[in-house]
Amino acid sequence: MLPMLVRFKVKEPGHHGFGLCFPAILIWILLAALMLVLLPFMVLAALITWQHGPGMRLLLVYPLIVAVIWNLGGLTIDVEQKQRTLLIDFI
Amino acid sequence: MNEERRKILDMLAQGKITAEEAEKLLDAVGDPGSGTGAAAGTDAAGRRIWKYLRVQVDPGPNSESGDRVNIRVPFKLIRAGLKFAAFIPREAHARVTQAFKEKGMDVDLARITPQDLEEIVSNLDDMTVEVDGKDKVRIFCE
Repeated sequence: MLPMLVRFKVKEPGHHGFGLCFPAILIWILLAALMLVLLPFMVLAALITWQHGPGMRLLLVYPLIVAVIWNLGGLTIDVEQKQRTLLIDFI
Repeated sequence: MNEERRKILDMLAQGKITAEEAEKLLDAVGDPGSGTGAAAGTDAAGRRIWKYLRVQVDPGPNSESGDRVNIRVPFKLIRAGLKFAAFIPREAHARVTQAFKEKGMDVDLARITPQDLEEIVSNLDDMTVEVDGKDKVRIFCE
């Protein structure tokens, strides 16, 4: 499930905490645009290194990145320490 | 409450089944009170499909740090992430193997195939680790 929201919270004792809840879809759109721009270069690099290098594996980076991002939904990291509290939540 | 449990309780309320039968049926559909089945479904073979790997660390009575950790990782993310192992350059395999050995693990990265990784992830659902020390550590699937 593609996460649509990301919650991020950091708090240190004696300091004001920092919390953010933003629509992750904006990041994914920017990332998709960046990947699209880089695609011709990746294809070129894959063709050049096809015989004696990473070759086809370079092309597989794209679907793998998409798979990782798509499955980020539900990832929660919540750490409470004496010095710091951290929360990262992909919703 | 899931649909199956509701149906069983409805049948009990309507007197279609006895309390004993209802108990057996409820046992058969699983125990929601275990705290680990809420997110899991079942596949065609009736085997539970776990969605998340959970790591919980709670401070015990003698804890020095008092750290509290709660991590929930989707299994699909683990599977997708493991595929990146194929991108580790061959030149780095020896160094990774050496690093594993230094940590006491006899693992040769070059010999691990994607099928091995898939098998490891598939069998993670059988794993529950509970460590009661200064901190209480729980690793389980849900």
